Amino acid sequence: MTVQEKERRLSSTTSAPPFGRRRTRSTASRRTTLLRGAAGFAALFAIAELVSRSGIVSETFLPPTSLVLLRVVELLVTPSFLVEVGATLSAWAIGLAICIVVSVTIGVLLGSSRAAYSGSRAVIEFLRPIPSVALIPLAMLVLGNDAEMKIALIVFSTSWPVLFNTIYGMHDVDPIAKLTAKSFGHGRLSTLLTVSLPSAMPFIFTGIRIAASVALIVAISAELLAGASNGLGRWMLDASATGNRPDLVFAATIIAGLLGLIINFLLQLIERRFLGWQTALRPTGGASK
Amino acid sequence: MSIQATATDLLTIEGLGHVYEGTEPFEAIGKLDFTVPEGAFVSIVGPSGCGKTTMLRCLSGLMKPTRGEVRLEGEPVTGVPRDLALVFQDYSRSLFPWRTVAGNIAYVLPRDLPKAERAARVQESLDAVGLGEAGAKYPWQLSGGMQQRVAIARALAYRPAILLMDEPFASVDAQTRAELEDLMLAVREQFGMTILFVTHDIDESVYLADRVLVLSKSPSTIVESLDVDLPRPRDQVSTRELDDFVHLRSHIARLIRDQSMKGRPAA
Repeated sequence: MTVQEKERRLSSTTSAPPFGRRRTRSTASRRTTLLRGAAGFAALFAIAELVSRSGIVSETFLPPTSLVLLRVVELLVTPSFLVEVGATLSAWAIGLAICIVVSVTIGVLLGSSRAAYSGSRAVIEFLRPIPSVALIPLAMLVLGNDAEMKIALIVFSTSWPVLFNTIYGMHDVDPIAKLTAKSFGHGRLSTLLTVSLPSAMPFIFTGIRIAASVALIVAISAELLAGASNGLGRWMLDASATGNRPDLVFAATIIAGLLGLIINFLLQLIERRFLGWQTALRPTGGASK
Repeated sequence: MSIQATATDLLTIEGLGHVYEGTEPFEAIGKLDFTVPEGAFVSIVGPSGCGKTTMLRCLSGLMKPTRGEVRLEGEPVTGVPRDLALVFQDYSRSLFPWRTVAGNIAYVLPRDLPKAERAARVQESLDAVGLGEAGAKYPWQLSGGMQQRVAIARALAYRPAILLMDEPFASVDAQTRAELEDLMLAVREQFGMTILFVTHDIDESVYLADRVLVLSKSPSTIVESLDVDLPRPRDQVSTRELDDFVHLRSHIARLIRDQSMKGRPAA
């Protein structure tokens, strides 16, 4: 196993435990896991409810869970709220799409040429550590407080994981696989598209999964900190500062968390469907030596 | 069956030599001269480190040799020739894990081939290696021997005039190896293919071939070229107990042992 592969394994396990993704567990033990997880949630809600109702913590700080959950349901059927969620999600989607196109393209170029890679490293190592939040003032100054500002910040902050994973993936392509393509008459471009790119896809997709959660964080942060003209973050800011409605803020926070969960779940489905061939996702027992 | 003197030479190697440049230049191939007649099965056998892989890369146009010339059907090999297919030793790295078995085979077909014909070619190749049912599977769902069958099927689907094989059965068990050897003999009959087969297994080189070339250690040269006049069809048990077989294999074994001893301090 190469270092890059290890790195990718590690980065993929941070977002999802490996055992949850394998089909090695029986449905029975899976159900047990689900039940236990549900029990954990129920306990958390019950304690929060008790703490709030008994007055240990003032209801201003911690509204009763039952009330918050009611608000969640109410918000999910409130069109004006959903419009704000839609604004956040559209910035998320556009930013992520731009990031993927740009970073994968640059990553493939840098990954297939040693000279380009070493030449660009200094620039990348300088730009990468800049926290995206530190760019908010600059982005506001140049782009105002609309969607463009959010999208620019998302693209900046999400480009790194996709870019680096693409480069690693390109470096990890098996030379024998490339030689095979060449021996069957495939030229450089054709080998790149038919061998290097598919071979690097698991790496790239891991980068995209990281980018997808970072993009959501950055979208909401930008809305909060830059006082964006719309979006879920802006809505929460209003509910908090002007509305003084802790129940609504809590409910919106839970919805933001649910968004993250749903996004990750969808991406996992896509990965299993299209990248199920990669070693980490193969059903065990199928491959014999 | 011996090689008919009348058969035309499909592959001609003249004065082939290769030196890996670098701070410590390494002469992998000294001087090779040989021909592979059309329809022949030629084995190349040698001690480990005899520059077999370098030679195959030069023959298949993947690498430019330092000296000499390779001609395929009379044409000098400059790039990767269309009429030649290479079966790699490392089947698990040579097959693409993201493509199904059928997808791996279809990969080498001409892009403008109509869909129905594509499917037919894939099926024909899979049937030839006894994997007619495995098209929808992924290579990594198959055993090592089956994976190498897929690699052979892929080379067959490419329809080359000559097949170069680089120690293709080095990493499968003995039973599978015998099956794959007989598969190669059958496939050769069916497709009328010319085969250049590199191996480090002396018995295998004799069992399969019409002619065995014995290589020296690097910088490699040809120590001896032996015609194999064993009757065909060959049989794993009866061919191997023929006196001619035993003599040939012992003779080659001696040649290779002498090669391996060279340059070593006397015991």
